Amino acid sequence: MVAGVAIAASYEVPPSRFPEVRPHNLYRQVAHAALSEWGLKPGDINGLLAVPSGQGINEIDIYTHEKLGSELGITPAFAETLNAGGASFAIMVGRAASAIRDGLADSILCIGTGKFTKPAEGGAGNMARMISEPDFEIGYGPFIPALYALIASRFMAESGVGPADLARVAVSARQWALRNPRALMHRKGAISVEDVLQSRMISTPLHYLDCSVPCDGGGAILVTTDEKARQLTRQPAYLLGYGEAHSHGSISAAGERLVQTLATRTGADAFKRAGLSPADMDMAMLYDAFSFTPLLLLENLGFAPAGQSAAMVQSGAIDPGGSLPVNTNGGLLSFGHTGESSGMSVIVEGVRQIMAQAGENQLDRARTALVHCYGGMMYEHATLILGRSR
Amino acid sequence: MPEVTPVNEIFWEGTALGELRLRRCRACDHRFRFVSSWCPACWSDDLDWVRASGRGKVSAMTVVHMAPYESMAQRVPYVLALIELDEGLVMMSNVVDVPCEQVVIGMPVEVTFEPRDGLQLPQFRPRAD
Repeated sequence: MVAGVAIAASYEVPPSRFPEVRPHNLYRQVAHAALSEWGLKPGDINGLLAVPSGQGINEIDIYTHEKLGSELGITPAFAETLNAGGASFAIMVGRAASAIRDGLADSILCIGTGKFTKPAEGGAGNMARMISEPDFEIGYGPFIPALYALIASRFMAESGVGPADLARVAVSARQWALRNPRALMHRKGAISVEDVLQSRMISTPLHYLDCSVPCDGGGAILVTTDEKARQLTRQPAYLLGYGEAHSHGSISAAGERLVQTLATRTGADAFKRAGLSPADMDMAMLYDAFSFTPLLLLENLGFAPAGQSAAMVQSGAIDPGGSLPVNTNGGLLSFGHTGESSGMSVIVEGVRQIMAQAGENQLDRARTALVHCYGGMMYEHATLILGRSR
Repeated sequence: MPEVTPVNEIFWEGTALGELRLRRCRACDHRFRFVSSWCPACWSDDLDWVRASGRGKVSAMTVVHMAPYESMAQRVPYVLALIELDEGLVMMSNVVDVPCEQVVIGMPVEVTFEPRDGLQLPQFRPRAD
């Protein structure tokens, strides 16, 4: 049990492209809009966590929290610009919970924005250099889809998952996006398994429609105490469980964790702290940079026995109306992959569902949610379990 | 392209001689790649090196169809792979001298060397046995 910590509010810019907006200006816009929507004043925030802005466009600012804190007119007792890739935002919730328990702060703004260059505009090379070993990997032509494809190839060989199973995940994500007006692909129409398999090959087994949609965006959540949360909202999202783990820094060093990722540990830790099991979850948000990652995570997190994720997905279990709705906003695959802020969109959707604020794609039953994010090429992981009651 | 540094120069000296070398820790006999100047298993900095067999198998692979950046534009489609050496270590490589579609996980491979920018870059190709 993660005692006494809850998320009291969330905010998100619908994913889009903002080529004219500089990274820090996007931060200003998101912060101002979030705090206005929540009805807060400067004295109401005493903690601030942000990610370095500009990662996706190679203009990294590691002093984001200083600038933003100053612009918000606050002098927080707890503030940091932290980075763990896609896992950053789930880890922010963990850091915020620790700070609240230590008495450092009790009203912590966790915020992120992201911009994503198109691979053809130099983004692929920038990102490849950031996440590869300079001396023993970069000469072989790695880039993000190909590195994920390596994981996919091994996972598929071990689990019996096939290309049509990957495609089925993308189909499900689009079904959710069609119900969510905020999703980037909301008006793009349904896709079929055949559409995915017929889309151009990027790096086997990943077709174009197996890849998430690069875009810009941002969001924020307010992490606070149970008591304060109840003053701010009728239905907070209580933090029931948390798990975090970090291992390697390049795919060559993954070893058996290439496929048996640290999600096995963070999921088990989070469930243990919450006193709950996968069967207790009403929904799951599973970071889906590519279509195979929800399959792998369903197995690693214990929602499906090893080798059974494909059957689970093919049965419609993760679709609208299914037994375990997954990525109910459309996921990174069809909601949009908002650059370095993508993990925030994963958390915000889990929070919205628990707080009954998910609008047209609100689930009938969302008492509990597992939210899982990872950073790097699945190198570091964090799992949150959120609930409507303690 | 790779950079020769004090941490990895013994590795690149080896490839120039047609050898694939691994770091060996004198304190605990752990084998690892030339990525740090101490042993990741016991933190000793008393390090030696050994010549690897240069044999292994493909443990993960993808055929890249979209050139990610200019330097790879002339190479697509190419195979990006993780090679599990007989010594148990994993390294990244391309799989060369074979049509891309014939490369599969589990395929036995052996090291070969490709001259690139003044260095001999290890690559792997299928082996018969």
